[in-house]
Amino acid sequence: MDFVTIIWSVAGTAALSLGFIQLLAWLYERAKWERLVFFFMTVGSAGISFTELGMVRATTADEFSNYLRWLHLPTWIAFVSIVVFVHLHLRTANLWLGGLAIGARTVSLIINFLQPINLNYREVAGLKNVSFPGGAVSVIEGVPNPWMLVGQLSLLLLVAFIVNASWTAWRGGNRRSALVTGGSIVFFVLSATVQAVLVLWKVVDWPLTTGFFFLGVVAVTAFDLSRETLLAGRLSTRLHESEQRMTLAAEAANLGIWIRDLLHNDIWASAKWRELFGFGPTERLEMEDVLRRIHPEDQQAVRKIMEKTLVDGGRYDAEYRVKLPDGKIRWVSSHGRLELDEKGRPLRLRGVSRDFTARKSIELEALRHRNELTHLSRVKTLGELSSSLAHELNQPLMAILSNAQAAQRFLKQEPANLAEVREILADIVLEDQRAGEVIRRLRLLLVKGEIQQKPVDINTVVREVSKLLQSDLLNHRVTLKTDLAPNLAEVTGDSVQLQQVLVNLIMNACDAMAGNAVGERQITVRTRDAGPSQLRIEVSDMGCGLPETGPEWVFAPFNTTKGHGLGLGLSVCRTIVTAHGGTIGAENNPERGATFHLTLEAQK
Amino acid sequence: MRPTVFLVDDEEPVRKAVSRLLRAENIEVAAFASPAEFLAAYDPKTPGCLLLDLQMPVLNGLELQKMLLGKGGGLPIVFLSGQADVPVSVQAMKLGACDFLTKPVSDDVLLAAVRAAFAKYVQDQVKREKKAEVATRIATLTPREREVLGHVTTGRLNKQIADDLGTVEKTIKVHRSRVMEKMKVRSLAELVRLTLLLD
Repeated sequence: MDFVTIIWSVAGTAALSLGFIQLLAWLYERAKWERLVFFFMTVGSAGISFTELGMVRATTADEFSNYLRWLHLPTWIAFVSIVVFVHLHLRTANLWLGGLAIGARTVSLIINFLQPINLNYREVAGLKNVSFPGGAVSVIEGVPNPWMLVGQLSLLLLVAFIVNASWTAWRGGNRRSALVTGGSIVFFVLSATVQAVLVLWKVVDWPLTTGFFFLGVVAVTAFDLSRETLLAGRLSTRLHESEQRMTLAAEAANLGIWIRDLLHNDIWASAKWRELFGFGPTERLEMEDVLRRIHPEDQQAVRKIMEKTLVDGGRYDAEYRVKLPDGKIRWVSSHGRLELDEKGRPLRLRGVSRDFTARKSIELEALRHRNELTHLSRVKTLGELSSSLAHELNQPLMAILSNAQAAQRFLKQEPANLAEVREILADIVLEDQRAGEVIRRLRLLLVKGEIQQKPVDINTVVREVSKLLQSDLLNHRVTLKTDLAPNLAEVTGDSVQLQQVLVNLIMNACDAMAGNAVGERQITVRTRDAGPSQLRIEVSDMGCGLPETGPEWVFAPFNTTKGHGLGLGLSVCRTIVTAHGGTIGAENNPERGATFHLTLEAQK
Repeated sequence: MRPTVFLVDDEEPVRKAVSRLLRAENIEVAAFASPAEFLAAYDPKTPGCLLLDLQMPVLNGLELQKMLLGKGGGLPIVFLSGQADVPVSVQAMKLGACDFLTKPVSDDVLLAAVRAAFAKYVQDQVKREKKAEVATRIATLTPREREVLGHVTTGRLNKQIADDLGTVEKTIKVHRSRVMEKMKVRSLAELVRLTLLLD
């Protein structure tokens, strides 16, 4: 094999091998389309080299012409690849100009195959050998074809396209790419054009060496592409460092980091997170195992939040208890985010979790104190009610006792009056139930329990309270009128506490009317809808009205207008109503007395 | 006429039970749901007592008691109360209540109170009848004789009375014997006792 064959073959294979490297890289990371385009560029470039090799080794003019004709195909491939590559790489290309260049090149390709010989020659006279570094090569003798100008025009258009793109990139600040990539490609394409013009128009007796120039283009672009790979390597080092720094910061802030890969169903979590949930440092994490660490009472809620986030996307916040393998309970707050791929499919969930047991226990303590105060205030209220409650209870007891003792007498009669005794027993049962009802109502209010979050019918609360206060109202010679809206929506909350609020308001109203004449002591309790998801309860009296210090003053703790009060009743009422997400206020009636009103969120 | 217990209580179960107990003891009962009902149906000639609940809407037990006192009714009152309220019970007793019971009341206590009230009614009735008798006797006196009676019962001598009325002792003596005759008494002491009944 002679040297000529070697250098052209080397040029071709070099281009191809660079191309295959980038093809592999593209297969690994499909988003980088530049790599695939580059591969086509090397195919074109190699094609040019091998066809040119055929030309310089040709022994007949026909063989030469034939190679020359086929040379246009890899040239077209390389040409189009360069246009697309510049467009993808610099992102500043004038697509109109690029399209025009490709169009001209395509026209020249079509003409090439329509002409009797090829694009470049009309007539072929013969071959001649010229000396070339590395040995003698064949060049052709013949009449140039003027259609060749179309091909050369396309090359100039290509140069213009690249210059334009590079110039725009330069001005846009991307100077390095504009200079290295744009500049080099322009240089090599221009050189190839000039050489081709000189050779083909028979100005010099030289073989075509377009392949070498294209190899130059390939080399420059390959360098540019590899530089990205190098940069990526450096970036990954920096990324690793910044990840370390973040882990350090997260650990200092007691944050556990976790990532759930939804495609591979894989969970990664930081050491801190594993410690938080009681997993070993190398233990494999399964979603089910993680969920099982969550306190049974909170599990359902957390599952729901997770599912909702996966369906609706976006962020989520959750607070729940973690039950560690040793039985210890830990309060954890978790913030996460769903990440989607380009097509909007869920890719992964990423988030941080934090131990906030300390804060939570303070919160719970405060809640417990509030609960305690509410309960004490209720007990005190019931203490004030006790004498009338005694009456309430003594009525059925009186009936039961008298009935029973009457029955004893009826049984002693000769003959015993059994019909009467039967009636008596039925009445005793009824009265006993009534007494039980009074006790049940009382016990409900006295019991000290967790605050309930249940659906409550406000009208039922009003009715219960009016029964409870029946004898107290009687003692105060007060009549209670109720005006209850039918089909009222329910609220969520604690019926005992809401009863407490009403009892307080009604007893206050009684006190406010103590100075009234007996016929002028009336309280009205009204319930009604107030807007789409709110309802309102009003307690109106005909009493002395609010003190001059204003309606807000009465809700502040330790403020009282009564000689015997602690001034806590209304402040506790406000605490209760606020905890139910509602508001409580008061105002004087236009004619007489005051109205206290509370607004609560209706359940949907 | 048999004495009747007038039971006033706003609660039907209590009325029913107490009525049963009294009927089992063969005591006449008339039960009313409110003071107004009782006042509408009450015939003052019927002997007996009032068994009165303290706490009732509109008009309560104490108010009914005061009302009856104003009318000069003769029924002794036994109060029934759901709670032992000392100031209220003192007030009721001061106003002449016969007894003050706290619910629930055992049969012995209740029946004893009712019987005591009945006895009081009888005593009161005897007094009332005597009073009425004295009043009718006084009604037969002439105005002059009534004047003389007034002076005699304050312990003045005939001579002093004659001086006061500007007449002679003999005329007073005649008036005095007329008074003694019309009042159906034989001694001064007897006359004084009768007039005291009226005060």
